[in-house]
Amino acid sequence: MSIKLKDNFIEVVMAVMPITLVVTILQVLLISLPMLVLIRFLVGSTMVMAGLTLFLQGVKIGLLPMGETIGAELPQKASLPIILLASFILGFVVTVAEPDVRVLAYQVDLVSEGEISKNILIVAVALGVAVFVCMALLRIILGFPIGYLLAIGYAVVLLFSLFTPTRFVPIAFDAGGVTTGPVTVPFILALGIGTASVLGGRSSIGDGFGLVGLASIGPILAVMILGVIYQ
Amino acid sequence: MSELWKFLHFEEVLVEVLAAIGPLIVFFFAFQIFFLRLPRQYVKNLFKGVLLSIVGLVLFLQGVQVGFLPVGTAMGEMLGALEQKWVIIPIGFVLGFAATIAEPAVRILSYEVEKTSGGSIRARIILLTLAFGVAVFMALGMVRILFGIPILYLVAPAYILSIALLKFSNPIFTSIAFDAGGVATGPMTVTFVLATAVGIATAMEGRDPISDGFGLISLVALSPILSVMILGLFFSTKRGESR
Repeated sequence: MSIKLKDNFIEVVMAVMPITLVVTILQVLLISLPMLVLIRFLVGSTMVMAGLTLFLQGVKIGLLPMGETIGAELPQKASLPIILLASFILGFVVTVAEPDVRVLAYQVDLVSEGEISKNILIVAVALGVAVFVCMALLRIILGFPIGYLLAIGYAVVLLFSLFTPTRFVPIAFDAGGVTTGPVTVPFILALGIGTASVLGGRSSIGDGFGLVGLASIGPILAVMILGVIYQ
Repeated sequence: MSELWKFLHFEEVLVEVLAAIGPLIVFFFAFQIFFLRLPRQYVKNLFKGVLLSIVGLVLFLQGVQVGFLPVGTAMGEMLGALEQKWVIIPIGFVLGFAATIAEPAVRILSYEVEKTSGGSIRARIILLTLAFGVAVFMALGMVRILFGIPILYLVAPAYILSIALLKFSNPIFTSIAFDAGGVATGPMTVTFVLATAVGIATAMEGRDPISDGFGLISLVALSPILSVMILGLFFSTKRGESR
């Protein structure tokens, strides 16, 4: 475990370093942030690196096997309605646990001065993922081509965007991007592979799930609907 | 120093993290009782992981709140107030490239694509293509903020292009592409880059922090989809030639 922790740490440092470097270069060349702000940045970076290392390690040995076991066992042990219900709940709870979703929600809450509250946004995004995870599973079971479903999904998104208040459109699209984080993706893939191997009746290798692509359409629509409700 | 520490709210963050991870744990327990019945020792080990994730998430979120968000916003506000506003375009390009080239998920994706192509497309080339793609999209995102272009004008063509590519791209590449959408939107992009964009939009005259500041993540998420599909296009033509 300690070796894995070291690997994780190296990965995290490599991911955080380039940004920190760019900030340092910009600080020297273009802008001059006050000293206190810079110290906060360094303290924050250190905490982010330590936190991400521990979190990713925890995901690997805790959250991920949980999601994967449920994803793999569920289709074998339950009937279709229960599978769909459980996938819905699971899609919801993993999205709520996703750090990227939370950080986006912070910023939206902050910039909109509380008008679009953090928790409402997280719940909307999680509901969107939940519904689309179910749809993605149904697609595997029914053998509906992924291309059509993506095309329909994108068309609906573009159509919806015409009726959404303009302030909500960028947030909605961003919400689609943050759901593909370290907690959600492995779980969705495991659930898809589990379902395909039990109910799909076809090889799970190279079948092309596109599950993650589908799951990121859900939150976009959910936030757009939220925008319409808010208006 | 006390100036610094007053920004820390560990208790608040801990409550939030428990609320975030709690539902997953409860659901897992319900499942364990009704369906899984995994051995006790195994479950114990899982909970060590859960504990680690909780501690890690508290540190991460606190670090983001204390350091990344305020500094990203402050930096963005300074950039947005600069005389030569165009500099944000190359800065977006560099930030995009730097954030992607080092992202572990992107490297894993590159190897996956190399394997799928039977080694005919080198992982290095894929990695560079992905990083370049994100860099271009990030630069486009900056152009968008600079001129106040609605996000839809960029997202809609990207959607249409990706669906059009579906028709021509190798199906295996297609599935990798659509599952790859998330690789470049790591915690760095979501925290720091977004905060910078919001800062720029706040400081720039005539721009709205909400409708112009947000939207960058969606572009970064679309970029790998298009990159991988275009790579897949090359792969199929290559194979066609050899036939």
